[in-house]
Amino acid sequence: MEIRVLDNNKEQGKLSFILKDSNPIFANTLRRLMIDEVPTMAIDEVEFSKNNSILYDEMIAHRLGLIPLKTDLKSYNLPEKCKCEGKGCNRCQLKLVLRATKGSGVVYASELKSKDPAVKPVFAEMPIVKLLKGQTLELEATAVLGKGKQHMKWSPCHAYYKYRPIIEITGDVKNPEAIIEVDHNNIFEIKDRKLVVNKDRVLECDLSLDYSQIDKNVKVTASDTDFVFYIESFGQLSGKEIINKAMDIFDEQLDELAEELKKAK
Amino acid sequence: MIIPIRCFSCGKPIAHLWESYVERVNKGEDRKKVMDELGLQRYCCRSVFLGHVDLIDTAAQFKKF
Ligand SMILES: [Zn+2]
Ligand SMILES: [Zn+2]
Repeated sequence: MEIRVLDNNKEQGKLSFILKDSNPIFANTLRRLMIDEVPTMAIDEVEFSKNNSILYDEMIAHRLGLIPLKTDLKSYNLPEKCKCEGKGCNRCQLKLVLRATKGSGVVYASELKSKDPAVKPVFAEMPIVKLLKGQTLELEATAVLGKGKQHMKWSPCHAYYKYRPIIEITGDVKNPEAIIEVDHNNIFEIKDRKLVVNKDRVLECDLSLDYSQIDKNVKVTASDTDFVFYIESFGQLSGKEIINKAMDIFDEQLDELAEELKKAK
Repeated sequence: MIIPIRCFSCGKPIAHLWESYVERVNKGEDRKKVMDELGLQRYCCRSVFLGHVDLIDTAAQFKKF
């Protein structure tokens, strides 16, 4: 197996790579581990001391839960795996306080004051609610580490993949214009009245068209062993952290399986 | 009411893009161009922006029960 990074845009949190000499089972395992098993921090409980804004308590709590929090995986444990046995301590939960008493205006995510400077809302300018004059909002929220399989607010990324496209021109193409006309991914070009493949665009092919129906010499197939992977981080963790953590979890799960098999005999 | 924190369909955080979107559209910029530049690539996220009406100013004047 081999991995070749195509693009790593840290600003937008986008990471794409080619997974070579693998199989669909492994590719899907990796995708599901990233979405469901990699933990992140998210607000899970909110205690309101004052809220006379137009949004109900539960609506604000729901909005707060969805706000991505920058996550530091080294300093927090999952509540069920913490030494405090789920009671709650500063190794498994974090308090955030919001006090918007200024009267009117939009309350932004940046006004959530976190007790830990490393864990704070990723996007400062997310509106939580809008207050009119005389309306106030005071609350204390508790953020915990959780997994995407329990609630999507704990999922670190949007991950998807496709089979690597293989595009071949095996002979003379009689009517190159007909191919160009339907090619919405711009993977083909005409050079000296001949149809050629634009090598830089091959991976953009979405495999949605059967070109062989237009001309038998144009073959678009999908590789069985190579995958083009796309990861779009929601901001809590970087793309690299997500993959590394997903692989660590995979190792743990395989060890666990081996242990259980030994017991079964 | 108020712009959702995330896209309903794909989960991408979008709320922080709303205010600059409104500002630029009100200045007369093309919606397609603004959404492309804000990184709203999928049609699910774009539909949230195109379909959203900010009603919170109106709703906030009424009493909540
Ligand atoms: Zn604990
Ligand atoms: Zn979306």
